[in-house]
Amino acid sequence: MKVREISWRYFDFWLLGAVALLTIFGVTMIRSAIAGNLELIEGNTVQKQIIFAVGGFVVMMLVAVIDYRLLAALSRPLYIGMTGLLIALNLIGGALFGSARWFRLGPILIQPSELAKIVMIIVLADFFTQNQGQMHKIQTVIRSFIWTMGLTIWILLQPDLSTSVVIFVIWAALLWAAGLELKHLFMAGGAGLIVIAVAVPLLIVNYDPENDTGLIKAYQIERVLNFIAPEEEARYGSNYNVQQALISIGSGGWFGQGYESGSQVQLRFLKVRHSDFIFSALSQEFGFTGAVFVLLMIFFVIWRCLRAARLAADTFGALLAYGVAALFTFQAIVNVGMNLRLLPVTGLVLPFVSYGGSSLLSMLLGIGLVESVVLRHKALEF
Amino acid sequence: MKTDQFLRYTALAVMFGVMALAIIGKLVQIQVFPQKEEFEKLNQYHSYEFRTLEPARGQIYDRWGHLLAGNEEVFEIGVDLASMRNPESVALMASTLLGKDYTETLNAIDFGEDEDAPYLYYRLADYIPADKKAEIEQYIERIDQNSEPGTSANGKTHSLVGVVFRPHLARTYPEATLGSNILGFVSQENLGYFGVEQHYNNLLAGISKSVWVSLDPNLAAEIPETSTGASLVLTIDREIQASVEEILDKAIQSSGAEGGTILVMDPKTGDMLAMASNPRMDLNEYWRVGDFFKTDQPFNLGVHSYEPGSVFKVITMASALDSGAVKRNTTFLDTGAINVGGITIHNWDWGAWGQQDMTGCLQHSLNVCLAWIATQMGANTFYQYLRDFGFGHLSGVELAGEVTGHLKLPGDGDWYVADLGTNSFGQGISVTPIQMLMAISAVANNGNMMVPHVVKSVINQDRQFEVAPQIAGTPISAQTAHTLTDMLAISLEQEASVALVEGYRVAGKTGTAEIAGEGGYTSSLTNASFVGWGPVDDPQFLVYVWLQKPTTSPWGSVVAAPVFSEVVNRLVVLMDIPPDGIRQAMVVP
Repeated sequence: MKVREISWRYFDFWLLGAVALLTIFGVTMIRSAIAGNLELIEGNTVQKQIIFAVGGFVVMMLVAVIDYRLLAALSRPLYIGMTGLLIALNLIGGALFGSARWFRLGPILIQPSELAKIVMIIVLADFFTQNQGQMHKIQTVIRSFIWTMGLTIWILLQPDLSTSVVIFVIWAALLWAAGLELKHLFMAGGAGLIVIAVAVPLLIVNYDPENDTGLIKAYQIERVLNFIAPEEEARYGSNYNVQQALISIGSGGWFGQGYESGSQVQLRFLKVRHSDFIFSALSQEFGFTGAVFVLLMIFFVIWRCLRAARLAADTFGALLAYGVAALFTFQAIVNVGMNLRLLPVTGLVLPFVSYGGSSLLSMLLGIGLVESVVLRHKALEF
Repeated sequence: MKTDQFLRYTALAVMFGVMALAIIGKLVQIQVFPQKEEFEKLNQYHSYEFRTLEPARGQIYDRWGHLLAGNEEVFEIGVDLASMRNPESVALMASTLLGKDYTETLNAIDFGEDEDAPYLYYRLADYIPADKKAEIEQYIERIDQNSEPGTSANGKTHSLVGVVFRPHLARTYPEATLGSNILGFVSQENLGYFGVEQHYNNLLAGISKSVWVSLDPNLAAEIPETSTGASLVLTIDREIQASVEEILDKAIQSSGAEGGTILVMDPKTGDMLAMASNPRMDLNEYWRVGDFFKTDQPFNLGVHSYEPGSVFKVITMASALDSGAVKRNTTFLDTGAINVGGITIHNWDWGAWGQQDMTGCLQHSLNVCLAWIATQMGANTFYQYLRDFGFGHLSGVELAGEVTGHLKLPGDGDWYVADLGTNSFGQGISVTPIQMLMAISAVANNGNMMVPHVVKSVINQDRQFEVAPQIAGTPISAQTAHTLTDMLAISLEQEASVALVEGYRVAGKTGTAEIAGEGGYTSSLTNASFVGWGPVDDPQFLVYVWLQKPTTSPWGSVVAAPVFSEVVNRLVVLMDIPPDGIRQAMVVP
C-alpha cells in the first residue's frame, strides 16, 4: 500500500466551516447558559470547552493528513487498547476517580466511552470490509455482534446505557450498509420480539414491589412510566426538566428572547442547560430561527459526511465516513427529540454544540476521519 | 447490487427523514403555532411574580384627631432559593422560631444536591412584628458570623444566607378594645370586617394595583404608584367612648346582664359621640373574634334589633300629641284593662291607676293608657308616624351590619289589629337602638330628626371633606317636641327617678320589654332600656341604654335608669356643660 500524494483541493472546507461554526456557536451558547452559576463559572467551563475545541481541531487536521487506510491496519490494536482501558476503568476507576465513567487528567475529566464510539466505527468498518464476500452468512453477522459486544459490555457495566445504545446503532447502521441480508434482519427481528415477549412478563412476575427487588428497579419502571404518562407537577427529575425545556423552546417564539436573556435559562429553571438541554436554551434565546439554523447546520454536516462516503476510494473509507454520519445523525435526533419530549430522556449530547470535552474531541476526530477519506477520494480529473 | 444499495440507503433516508420531520413539526407546534402562547404563559408564570401592591390603608381618628386605627410596619420572611446555601438550616430556623413544620418546609425549599436552584422565592411566614424580626436577625447573625457554625445532617455547614425580609404595612389599633364595635377589623387580605372598616372598606383600602414583577434581578421592574386610602375622622370622642364603655361594663357586671349597649348622640347634628357595646375585643388579635363572639352574636348591639318595650311610648305619645289625637292635659280613666283587636291589655303591675293625664300615663308607664291613645289616633295615623320616624328602614349610620328591624304595617300579612295596641308600648315591633336615637332626636331637637353618623370627615388626597349634618325629616312640630320633653322631664322628677342628675334638668323614659321566645313571651328575662336627653331647654346629649337580660332586677327603671344618670354625670364634665342654673344666668337677657 503506497501513501499517495494528497491534494488539499479535495479537502472539504465546507464541512470544516460548518463544524467550526457549530462549535463556536456552542461555546457562545454555553457561556450564556452558565451565567450566574458560580460553580460552573469558577470551574472554567467555557475555557475548558475552548481548549477541547482547539485541541480537537488540531487532532482533526492531523487525522485528516494521516491516510485512513493505515487505521485499518491499526484496528486490532485500537480495539484491544480501548477495551483494556474500559476494563481498567471498570475495575479501578471507581476507586481512583470516583466513577467508572471517566479518568482524570489534571483538572480535566476524560470519558473514554466517547472515544470508544469512534474506535468502534474504525473496527467495524474494517471488519465489514474484510468480510465483504461473507455477508450472506449468518456467522458474519453474529461475529460482528460479538466484536461489538466485547467492547460495549464494559460501557454497559459502567453503567452507561445510552452510549452503549449509540454503539449498537453504529453497528446496526454499518451492518445494514455492508449488505445485511433481509432474512437475517427478519430473523433478528423475530428473535427480538420473542425475547421481549418472554422477558417483559418475566420481569413483571419477577418484580416484587414491596421490597423493590428483581431484575429491574423501581426507578427504571418510573422512568418508563414517566415518559408515557408524565407527572406534571414534579419539582425536579427528568420530567420536570423536559417540561422546563418545552417552556423554554415554546417561549422562544420566532426570533427568541435574545442572547443572555432567555428567562428559563437565566433564571435556572432549565437544568443541564449547557449540555444535554442546550438545544432548549438556544431555542429560547434565538427562537425558531436559531433552532432551525442549528438543525440545518447539523444536517449539512451529515450530508457532507455522506458525500464523503459516496466519493470514497474504497469500501473501508465509505463505511468509515458513513459510520461517522450515522453517529451524528443518531445523537442529534435523540438529543433534539428528548428536548422536544418526542423521545425519553437520555444522556446523549448534541454534536459540536453541547458542553463536553470528550464528546467534542471524539466528534472532531470523526470529522478528521471523514476529511481523510475525502482527501483521498477517487480522482475524477478532467 | 446497485439497486440494492440504493434501496438500502433510501430506507435509511426515509427513516431518518421521518424523524427529522417529526422534530421540525414539533418545533413548529410549540414555538410557532399553536402551542406557542400556552408555553409563553407558562414561561411568564415561571419568570415573573404576580404581586398585588396594596397602598397604605387610610387611618381612622376620633373627633379630636386621636389615632384609633393606623398602620405599622411588619415583615414577610422568605428565602431566595438561588442564593440559599443550606436548606436544612433554614428549615431548622423556621421550625424553632416561626413554628413551621420542619419536614414540610424542607421539602418545599430543598432541591437536593442541585447547586443550580432556580430563582424562586419561598415565603416562610408573614406579619412578623419588628421585635420578632430583630430576634430572628439575631439568630441569623449568630449562625452566619460564627466561625464554626457546625454542620447539619446533610453534611453542609450551617448557613442562613438567602433568608430575606420584606417589609409591608399591617393594621394596628393603638387603643386595642376601645370602640372596637365601631371600628371593626381588617384581615390579612386587606378586607374590612364589621363597623367602619367594612362599611368604608373601599375608601380606606385605596386602589390596589397588580403587576407582574420579573424574578430576574438584572431586569428593571416598573412598580406603579398607588394612591393611599382615604383617612376617616370619626364623630366619636375617645374620652366619652372610654367613659361610657367603663360605665357599661360596670353596669353589666352589677346587673348580671348578658350584654348591653350605650349610645350617646349630639341631637343637634346626629354626631355619635360614643357607641359602647359589650362584648368587645382587642382588634389587634382579630383572628380571635370567635373567642369573643358566638355565632350569630351581633358585633355591635347598637345596630342590632330588639323589642324595645316602654321606651317606645315616647314615640307613641309624640305621634298622638302631634296628630292632635290627645292633648297634654287630656285625661284617661285607667280601669286596668283594654281590649284592642280581641286581645286584652293590662298594665305592668296588673293594676288600675284611675284618672290620669298624659304625663301620668308616661310617668307610670301605663300600657292600657298608651294602647287607648293609639286607638284614638287610629292605625293609619299611628303607622304613618312610625314610618316618618324612620322605623323599618336603615338609619344610614356608616356602620356595617346595621339591620332594619321589623315594622309590621296594616295590610301586611302578619299585621293584626291587636298589633296597634302592643306596638304602642313597644312590643311586637323590633327596632334598633340607633333607630330609636334617630327618631327621638326629633323630640330633643325641635322636631328635626337627624341622621345618625359616625364619620365626621374624610381625608382623601390631602383634602378634608366634612360630612354635613343631615336632617332625616321633621316628623313632629317643634311645639310637640318641647311639650313632650317637658312632660318626660316632669315625669322623671315626680317619680324621683334614679335617672335624675343633680344640677341638670333631663327628660327620659324607662323601658322593660318582655323577650319573645319560640313559644311566645314565656321567659322571665327582659330587655331593660332607658332613653334620655338634656339639658331640656337646650339638649346637647341624647343617651340610649339597653341592658340585655339583667338578672338582679328585670326593670328598666331599676337597672337602666341609674346608668343614664351616671353617663350624664360624666358627659357634663367631658363636654363642659355647666349646670343649668349657671348656664341660664350667663345668658344675656
